[in-house]
Amino acid sequence: MILYLLKRAAVFVLSAAVAGVLVFSFMAVLPGDPAEVALGVNATPEAVAELRKQFGTDRPAAAQFFDWFGGLATGDFGTSYVTSSPIGEQINDRLGVTAVLVGGGMLVALLIAVPAGTFAAVHHRNPLGVAISAFSQVGIAIPAFLAGILLVFVFAVQAQVLPSGGYVPLAEDPVEWFRGLLLPWLSLGLVQGAVLTRYVRSAVLDVMREDFLRTARAKGRGRMGALWRHGLRNASVPVVTVLGLQLATLLIGAVVVERVFVIPGLGDLLLNAVAGRDLLLVQGVVMVLVLAVLLINFLVDVAYAALDPRLRGAR
Amino acid sequence: MLSVEGLTVRAHAAELVHDVSFRIGPGERVGLIGESGSGKSLTALSLMGLLPEGVTAAGRARLRDRDLVGVPESRLKDLRGRAMSMVFQEPMTALNPLMRVGAQVAEVMTLHGKPRERARARAVELLGRVRLPSPEQVARAYPHQLSGGQRQRVMLAIALANEPELLICDEPTTALDVTVQKQMLDLIAEVAPALLFITHDLAVVASVCERVLVMYGGRVVESGPIREVFTRPRHRYTEGLLAASKLTPRGTRLPTIKGSVPPAGRFPGGCVFRNRCPHADVTCEKVPALTGEGHAHACWHPADRG
Repeated sequence: MILYLLKRAAVFVLSAAVAGVLVFSFMAVLPGDPAEVALGVNATPEAVAELRKQFGTDRPAAAQFFDWFGGLATGDFGTSYVTSSPIGEQINDRLGVTAVLVGGGMLVALLIAVPAGTFAAVHHRNPLGVAISAFSQVGIAIPAFLAGILLVFVFAVQAQVLPSGGYVPLAEDPVEWFRGLLLPWLSLGLVQGAVLTRYVRSAVLDVMREDFLRTARAKGRGRMGALWRHGLRNASVPVVTVLGLQLATLLIGAVVVERVFVIPGLGDLLLNAVAGRDLLLVQGVVMVLVLAVLLINFLVDVAYAALDPRLRGAR
Repeated sequence: MLSVEGLTVRAHAAELVHDVSFRIGPGERVGLIGESGSGKSLTALSLMGLLPEGVTAAGRARLRDRDLVGVPESRLKDLRGRAMSMVFQEPMTALNPLMRVGAQVAEVMTLHGKPRERARARAVELLGRVRLPSPEQVARAYPHQLSGGQRQRVMLAIALANEPELLICDEPTTALDVTVQKQMLDLIAEVAPALLFITHDLAVVASVCERVLVMYGGRVVESGPIREVFTRPRHRYTEGLLAASKLTPRGTRLPTIKGSVPPAGRFPGGCVFRNRCPHADVTCEKVPALTGEGHAHACWHPADRG
């Protein structure tokens, strides 16, 4: 068990390092010297060289990389070339907002998918079960931002019961915080929920064919009792895999949904950074997103071990 | 104690088991033999109320005074694991991989009303009774840490936990190594209450059972005491089955039953065996009845009593 976790942790650290190199290299090969950008077209070569020295971009790439990557561990992402403010702080402010958005979206997806998928599997032969499958197929075809716009149209424009956008911090007003996030959560969660429903359905269907469910029934459990006690935990193993992949998708989806609902999260920060050519900020945000995805994968591996004793190795 | 009358199992239009009748007395050990596809497992599953979706049973089956066929699931599930239990063919997949063995044995007792603590203690006791070494340790193990033979013993412990009146074993040793098979059979013979033992292995049935039912094409074609059926088979199918299982002198051809078992629902009308039987003629187009006291057979041209 401990060996397994150590291995997974090592994989996490190693992939983080590789990701760091990749993210840094991508930014380095992009055309556009930050010093030139900052000074504009009329700058003298001397001034540009001076600013480069100030930024530290005149040093060899490797030195710049280790400086930047080493800083990440302590939460130091460097200082923006454009706004001169520390990047770590900006990211930190936004990270919580995005985490809440993604977490809530996932929760919505789970609340839809687990009951609906299980129901569709148990009733896979009758019309209602088939209808759920068909409905989830439709859900898969809708992108999150479109779902968001549709939800805004119905609940904010037509019914006027929820705000169409904006974000109120939890500490300021919990009710408004919740009302503001409800539509973003739904637009992320509904679509992912539809996708997840299909996976839950097929996982539960697979488990229903397992011999040990028959054993459970031979012990005296009913169909549903056997499924509840012995089936769902077994079905959750493949679902956790998909959940990990979906969290990554949600993180990317959040970038767009934050735009639609004017939420000051990481996605919003990233898009603004791109628009403002704030390369170091872009680099920082992308790195945080990558780290988040890697962390999710690590947690998925930990969840496997918690769920399935066969992965824990020796007793 | 168990009486089955006119048991018929259907999947949609196809009739998979036809009009099967037999009895098992208290403490009696009865074998049910036949090739795969003969309907042995479906017969057993219909007694347990565990037929797959879309497959239905009709007829009458009673365990003492309780009906088993055509009664609601809520009543059947109360009997399963308590009054009757079943051990399946595949020990590798029959246990929940995510649950400790002891908990899986205890479950069948808590389900039928035993307090949790007592069920746990008794689970360890049962694991010892099926001769698993260091039962406390086995109780804490997960199924993947046990061998096939050990897992099948665990299944047997589960089946015996509530001291059922009837034990059904569906090819319990087929998936095991030969050396482990023998130990398992001895154990079953020792601990079983009334037993319905399903197998395609004639030697196995001879070593465990007192009486045997031979099934072919979803029908019982011959039944009687093991010794009589095996030494003086009457039905031509049983005769062929026995000939095919005998050791033959070196250099001679292995005797076989010609042809193969038709797919479900494709058996000929009349005697189900007539398309493979060397003695078949026009009379075999009519269904032969299972006749005879004690040693019964359903054949128009039975082998002579030797």
